[in-house]
Order: sequence, then C-alpha cells, then structure tokens
Amino acid sequence: MLSLKNISKYYQIGGNKSFVLNNVSLEVEEGEFVSIMGPSGSGKSTLLNIIGMLDEPSEGYHYFAGNAVHQLKEKQRAALYKQYVGFVFQAYHLIDELTVYENIETPLIYQNYSGSDRKAIVADMLDRFQIVGKKDLFPAQLSGGQQQLVGIARALITKPKLILADEPTGNLNSKQGIEIMELFAKLNKEDKVTIIQVTHSEKNAGYGSRIINLLDGKIDSSIKL
Amino acid sequence: MIKNYLIIALRNFWRNKLFTFINIIGLSIGISAAIVIYLIVNYDFTFDKFHKDGDRIYRVVSNFTYQSEIGYNSGVCGPLAGAIKNQVPGVEITVPFFGIYGPDVIIPEKEKVSEKYKKQDGVILAGPDYFKLFKYEWVIGSPKTALTEPNNVVLTTDQAKRYFPSLQYHEMIGKVIIYDTLKVTLTGLIKPFKQKSDLTFHDFISLSTATNGSNKALFSYVNLTSWDHTNSVSQLFIKLLPDVSPKLVEKQLKQILLKNNPPTPDRKGSSHSFVLQPLNDLHFNERFGIFDFTANSSVASKTTLFGLLVIAIFLLLLACINFINLTTAQASKRAKEIGVRKTMGSSRWQLIIQFLTETFLLTLIAVLISIVITPNLLKLFSNFISSGIKFNLPHQPNIVLFLVLLTLLVTFIAGFYPAIILSASKSVTVLKNQSLSNNRKTRSTILRKTLTVAQFIIALFFLMGTILVAKQIHYVLNKDLGFKKDAIVTISTPWKNNNQAKRQVLLNKLYSLPQIQLISVGEDPPLTGGERFTEVSYLDGKKEIKSNLLLKYGDKNYLKVFQIKLLAGRDLLSSDTLQQMIINDTYAKIIGCRYAQDAIGKYIDMDGKKSEVIGVTADFHEHSAHSIIKPLALLSIGIDKNNSEFHLALKPQSADGHEWKTAIAGMRNAWKEVYPDNDFDYEFFDEAIARQYYREQNTSTLLTWATSLSILISCLGLLGLTIYTTNQRTKEIGVRKVLGASVTQLVTLLSKELSLLILLAFVITTPFAWIAMNKWMQSFADRTAISWWIFALSGGGMFIIALITSGFQTVKAAIANPVKSLRSE
Ligand SMILES: Nc1ncnc2c1ncn2[C@@H]1O[C@H](COP(=O)(O)OP(=O)(O)OP(=O)(O)O)[C@@H](O)[C@H]1O
Ligand SMILES: [Mg+2]
Repeated sequence: MLSLKNISKYYQIGGNKSFVLNNVSLEVEEGEFVSIMGPSGSGKSTLLNIIGMLDEPSEGYHYFAGNAVHQLKEKQRAALYKQYVGFVFQAYHLIDELTVYENIETPLIYQNYSGSDRKAIVADMLDRFQIVGKKDLFPAQLSGGQQQLVGIARALITKPKLILADEPTGNLNSKQGIEIMELFAKLNKEDKVTIIQVTHSEKNAGYGSRIINLLDGKIDSSIKL
Repeated sequence: MIKNYLIIALRNFWRNKLFTFINIIGLSIGISAAIVIYLIVNYDFTFDKFHKDGDRIYRVVSNFTYQSEIGYNSGVCGPLAGAIKNQVPGVEITVPFFGIYGPDVIIPEKEKVSEKYKKQDGVILAGPDYFKLFKYEWVIGSPKTALTEPNNVVLTTDQAKRYFPSLQYHEMIGKVIIYDTLKVTLTGLIKPFKQKSDLTFHDFISLSTATNGSNKALFSYVNLTSWDHTNSVSQLFIKLLPDVSPKLVEKQLKQILLKNNPPTPDRKGSSHSFVLQPLNDLHFNERFGIFDFTANSSVASKTTLFGLLVIAIFLLLLACINFINLTTAQASKRAKEIGVRKTMGSSRWQLIIQFLTETFLLTLIAVLISIVITPNLLKLFSNFISSGIKFNLPHQPNIVLFLVLLTLLVTFIAGFYPAIILSASKSVTVLKNQSLSNNRKTRSTILRKTLTVAQFIIALFFLMGTILVAKQIHYVLNKDLGFKKDAIVTISTPWKNNNQAKRQVLLNKLYSLPQIQLISVGEDPPLTGGERFTEVSYLDGKKEIKSNLLLKYGDKNYLKVFQIKLLAGRDLLSSDTLQQMIINDTYAKIIGCRYAQDAIGKYIDMDGKKSEVIGVTADFHEHSAHSIIKPLALLSIGIDKNNSEFHLALKPQSADGHEWKTAIAGMRNAWKEVYPDNDFDYEFFDEAIARQYYREQNTSTLLTWATSLSILISCLGLLGLTIYTTNQRTKEIGVRKVLGASVTQLVTLLSKELSLLILLAFVITTPFAWIAMNKWMQSFADRTAISWWIFALSGGGMFIIALITSGFQTVKAAIANPVKSLRSE
C-alpha cells in the first residue's frame, strides 16, 4: 500500500539540523493494522503526518498506492489524500460551528457528492455508530468519547482505504478506549481497511498486527504479532 | 456546498456578534454614501447625453478680454449666426435662438390675466432648425412647418395643458396666445424630453416673428446687425460635420469677427473671441452658466462631484479596512476549522470561496440596510441634492447594476486578503495546536497596523480639512467688511408697471413704519448683486492714469444705511448728479493721493465727461473673499431710476424680538397697496452675504459629515481591535499584575502602541493636509491663516477620541482580577 525509503525530517535550529526523523524506511501492506509506539518527542506524529501527506519529509522517497509522492505536485497529492486517507485525531478536531451531522457530512461535500447521496450516506453512518439522536448537537455538547466517535465516523464517511489515527484514545477513559479499539479491529477485519495508529498504550497496540517502536527519530524495532 | 458555507457563515456572525455588528455598520455607512454619491454623480453626468451626434453639437459663446481680465458671456452677437451659415463650411446646422425674460402670458379667451401665467420662464424665439438639431416627439404639427411662419408658437404638452386645461390637444391648435403684447397662434405640440436635459424650454415662438422686421422691438432684440453688442439671451448652437475640428472653426469665427468688427484704437487692450463649448460641458461650466433666462438650471461643479467621489471611496475603504483588520485578527480563532477542513479534503480555493461567501453575505446585508437608509439620506441632504435625484430601484436598472457591482467589489476588496491569509494556514501546524506560524502572524499584524494607520490618516485628513473650511467661513462671514450687515432689508421695486410716483408713495409709506430708521434708494448693496465696470482716466499732471472703476449707485443715505466710513469730503446730496462721485481709498491711492483729503476736488474723466471727487470712503469689501478690493466709485442715483432698490435700516429689536416681523408685515402691506400685481419679496442683507458662500457652506457641511462618519467607522474598528488584543493579552496582563504592575502602568502599556500609531498617522497626514489646504485657499484672495493649532487640534482630538474608544476596554482588562484569567489557562 505504501512505502517510505530513507525518509528524514529535520528542522534548521541555529545552523544545525535537528533531526525529528532520521533515515526511516517502512513498508505497509494493504490490510495491515500497524501501531506506532515510542517516547514523547520521538517523531511519531511527524511520521504519521508524512504518511498521510499532511507534512513533507526533508529527504527520502515516499510511495503511496503506486504513486511516487515525493514527485507529485501539491494538487495531485491532495487528490490522492482525498481518495485514500481518513484521519482521526487525539483532540478530535471537530468543527465547533457545525453540528454532528454537518461535521460528518463535510468530507462528502469536498468529494462533490450530491445532496441526496450525502443524506443517505450520513444517515447510514449515524446508524452504524448509534448516534442518530445526537445528530443535531454541537461538539461542545458531547462527551469526549462521543466526540471521538464522531471524529471516526467523519474519517470513515468517504470509505478511505487507510485510516491514520494519532493517539485516538489519548483523551478517553479506558472503557471508551476499548470501544474505539474494537471498532478499529472490526473495520480492519471486516472492511479490510488499513489502519496505522500512534499510541502510548501497550494494550491498544496489541489490537494491531504489527508494532513499530520509534526512538529518537529512528525505527528501533518492528514486531509482527 | 454553498448552503454549508452559508450556515457556517451565519453561525460565525452570530458567535462574533460585536465584530459582525461593527462590520455591518461600517459597510452600511460606506455603501449608503456610495449610493447617494453615485446618484448625484450619475444624475449630473447624464444631462443631454441622448442627442443624436451629441459629440458634434457645440454652443458658440463669447470671451471678452479687457486688460488682463476675462469676461464670459454665454451668448453671441446677433449677426454671427448668419455669417456662420454662409461662410463656415464645416458647420452642418446653425441654430440661433433667443430667450425671452419672464413674459406674462395671456390667453385671450379668459377675461382676466390669470395669476399663474405671470413671468413665464422657458420661452424662446426659435426657428425650424432648432428642431432639426434637437429631436422632439411631435404630438401635433411638424418640425418643418410649425415655426416657419411669423407669429406662430409651439408648446410642450405640459405647458399646453397649463394654458388650456379643459381642451384636447387637437382643439388647442389655432388658439391665440399673447406674450406680453405679442400675439401668436399655436401651431404645434411636442412632448418634453423624457431624459434629463438642460434644454427645458416649453414655449417656442417662431424666430421669423422677430427677424422679418415687422415687430420693431423684437427686431432690435435679436439684433441682426451689430457686432458690438452681445447679450446672453442670444444663444447659438451649431452642429459640426463629422471630423471637423472645433479649433479650426474657432479660428474661422475669429476671422469673421476681425473682418466685420475690426479693432479700433479706442478699444486698445480689449479683445473679443468666440469659443465652441461642447454640449457635454453645458451642465458643468460655471463661467457661462446654462441659460440665464430660465429658472432652476444651475451648473454642477465637477470639482464638487470629484470631491464627493473621493469621500465615497474613502468611506468604503475605511469600512473594508475594518473588515480586513477584524477578520485577520480572528484568524487564529478560525485556524482550527481551516486545518480540519483541509484534512477532510478541502482545497485552498474552496476555502477562499468559503470566506468570500461570508464576506459577500455580510456585504449583502449591508447593501440591504443601505437600500433602506438611502431615501432618508436623500431627504436629509435635500438642501444640496438636486430635487431631480430619485432613488427608486425598480425603475432604475442602472442603480441595480451599480449595487451588484458594488457588492462584488466590496466583497473582493474586503474579503480577498483575509481569505488568502485564513486559507493559507497549514493543516499540520494547526493540528499540532500551534496557532498560525510566527512568521505569518507578524506579517498580518504589520498589515493590521498599517491599515489602522491608514484609517487614522483618512480621518485626520478630513478632520483637518473640516476645521480649516469652518475657520475660513467663520473668518469671511465675521470679519469687518467695512460696512454694516445686520438689520438691513433690501426690496427691489418691479420692472414693469412702475413709475417714480409709485416709488415715492412706497417710500413714504415705508417711512411711516415706526420700526424703520432710514431708507436708501439706489442699486445693489455692497458685496452682493451684479457689478458694473467702466473705464476712467485721471490726468495727474501729464501722466494719464487709466483704471477700471467699479460703479455703485446710491443716494444721500447709502453710506449711512450701510455705515460705510467717510474718510474725507462730504456725503452725497440729493442735488448731486453723475458729475459728483465718492471714491474708495484704493482708488484714491491709485490716482496718487497719499491722504484721502488730497483726492477731494480732483476730476475723473468718465465717458468723456468730468466728474468731481467729493468724498473718499474707507475701503469696504465689494466682492466675496475670493477676490481683492478694487477701485470703486459711488454715484448718485435718484428715485427716478426704474427698478430701484430700497435698502431699509431697521431699528434694533427689543428683547422679545417681534418688531422686525411687524416691520416686514408693514412693508408687505405698503407694497400691496402700491404694486397689487407684484409679489412682495425681501431679503435680509446678512443672509444675502452668507449666500455668497453657499458653496463653501456646502463644502463645510459635506466635510463635517465625511469627518464624522470616517471617525465613527475608524473608531468602531479600533474598538473591535482593542477588544480582540486585550482578550489576547489577558494572560499577560494577569501575570504582570501578579508581579506588581499598577493599573496605570498597565493602561499605559496597552495604550502605548495606539499612541504611536496615531503619532505616525499625524506625521504622515500633516504635510499632505497642508498642501491640500493651501490649494483650496488659493481660490480666496482674503484668507484666514492655516494656523498650527488646526493641526494640533486635529491630532489631539483624534488622539483623545481614539484613547476614549480603546480606553474603556483597556481599563477593564487592567482592573480585572488576575486570579480569574490565570486559572482558566
Ligand atoms: N516546527 C518545529 N521546529 C522544530 N522542532 C519541531 C517542530 N515541530 C516539531 N518539532 C520537534 O519534532 C519532534 C517530534 O515531534 P512529534 O510531534 O512527532 O513527537 P511525538 O513523538 O508525536 O511526541 P508525542 O508523543 O508527545 O506526541 C519534537 O522533539 C519536536 O520538538
Ligand atoms: Mg504526537
């Protein structure tokens, strides 16, 4: 599905290069469920953003679904992103001014779905996550777990082949966390969605098929479960 | 998608009520001003635009140069039209016509002269050519035949209905109409122009009535022979053939003039020439006026219109600046939404369009508000907005189009930059919970400061201008003009049905009114009224001193009524004739008299006769402050002169102030007894003087409005920005307070930046304002000083207004309990 070859990311700090990612190479097959772990500041989020094409590496080669991302123009990259990727954030990042329904609907708008299609798809999704009753509420009126559910529903609404999740359960209690993890496992198994998540929890990492450990911007270990 | 944008836009407006409010108020003011000014400018610029080949139509006018002074006359001498027809090949049509001053119109079938047909304006003598040049819609009759025969008349349908209210159009044809004494027959009816036009004539008497010579008075009125006399009623319009240069025609006219009226030695130093005035200049050229024999046709000033445009543009700019400032200040607030939208697949363009939609919506609301406000504004400014200007959207597609374009333009100017800034935020930075990157933040802060300074500059500029104009008006209206202005009433006795006996009766009746102190019989009072010059010479030994002397006519009471100081000699006596004159000090100096006394007994050569100087007055202002004091002589004129003016000095009013009203009522009664057929008209002298400065007064009113509105808009923006920045700095303020800063120190800290911005604006504005002021003052010979305090007052005033605007918010932030603001972090 995707492959990183000798990817580095550094910031210029006072004339010195400060490496966040240092010569990272990584292959992820379709259908995998990868967990990225590592201490704070080791570069996990940066790696995930690069995989998701939200951030650009300083060096290296990046292939995604057969495309050489490092050679693509901004526009093409955005198109690729739109077609394949769904993002889930630790801080949910719902749009405060939009209702649950509108938040979930928004990606469809950017994919140019017609109004009636959008209605049907969103209704399905609300059903599946059992949040129909909440559809007219604003994010501020939901609990953290509910907000993350909406965030995931929103990420899934365009049927992405790859879900990238940066500490999706970081702000949730353990029961809510388990629910989200089981949801991911189910998506991975039944819908064959590739998932890459960043997590600090061994237990959550256990839901995946592979654990990658980052240390100081380098891959320390990669263990298949 | 648009629906989604609209929803989020409305929710955002609601969430930021204050900013929305500020933006809408500012935009509404700017847009209303733009609409009103568009109406005015559009009105004045669309006069006589509909004539076929209008760009080839010219009016021939006359310039007279005498020494270095140029006189302008909108008419030409009578024989010119005939000469052009025969001798200038480049002219396609030559159309002479002659205005007739306010004739009384009599419809003979009625027994009595009806009141409403008195003193008609819009009556001209014209031939069939007139209708060849200007195409009217004919209801009855034909442009070719209706005015060929003498003693025929063509009316507009409106006017015909006034004369014959009970007749159908076809019944009117053949009716007789009498203009004063001239009997004519109605032969045609035309529709008045539907479009705006300065050609507002409605009674067209056939020109052949005058030119065939059977009516001696009319024949001399149109003067077909003398190249020496130019009357402004004698109008001449021509249409050039395509590609004929007006300059060339002007040269040919000069040749014709030289041939027919060669310069003679006694006309040394003077010259006469013809100028082709383009039709589209008619409405604007104040030198020639439009037609001085029709009422209600005042020239529009292009300078004023230009000034109005500038004001509209500035007000709109100020409102746009508010929008830009407030929106970019909020950028970090919205950055999260933007970042999230980007991770959900939004392209930058989609975001830009989203923000532009928001701006558009806001502008649209402001436009709708403006549409409601505009009719009221027109009422408010009815004093100096022409009554022809209407705001009636369903019937004015051009205004609808203007509004659409204005909405789009404002949306673009106000919305584009914020949209670029907002949409530029990168999703990664936003999602990492860093707000906008530092670099951009400073860039948009610098922009915000620049724009704020720009607002202050505009507001300061208007403020300085307003103070100066007010100062100048105050100066010219209140300075010592050398004569008394108040408690003087002027009435003019009529032209017609008047004689010396009647005037004497009126004079006696007026003198019997207890409130009247003194009456002078003469011509124009000082300063106001027309001016008449004559060339005089004075023989100083062998040297001949020639001067252009301004003549005033009055009687023995003239100097007393106006309290003009006599420096030497004596006042006029009833027995004096044109052989005695009182001169002003300026002229005394010109003829070489150092002391006024020396001029007494000198003889001045005027029109070949000697006139003795019997008195010298102190200089008094005979012109508005636009020009300097010129040599002047006061000559005796008696009650025997027709149409003389009475200047009545009133006794001072007592506290309850009813005397003058009673006096006016008394004058009216006296007048009605002597002149029952004429309306009584009077004018207080001081008001007549103030009227001389109506243009400056209008400028002043306009500037005051522009200033108030620009300050209002800027201050609203400033208020919004202050609220925003103090909110941003709540934590910093809290920490400083905990560390021991006092409220005063905090307020100083928070106001320092604002003060610097105002200072910068002041430094930038002052030189420009100074240049503009000097330019404006150039049109006055007599000017007030451009004092330093005008600038100081403006700068100080602006500073105080700005500090008060932001101060409330700043002090509130400074006295807030720091524990609260810090805990929430
Ligand atoms: N703009 C920047 N300039 C300099 N250094 C940066 C910048 N952005 C990120 N970094 C550095 O990159 C490193 C990796 O950041 P990253 O967010 O990827 O860490 P992480 O592994 O996700 O940590 P955490 O578990 O705390 O989320 C950090 O040390 C951070 O200081
Ligand atoms: Mg992280």
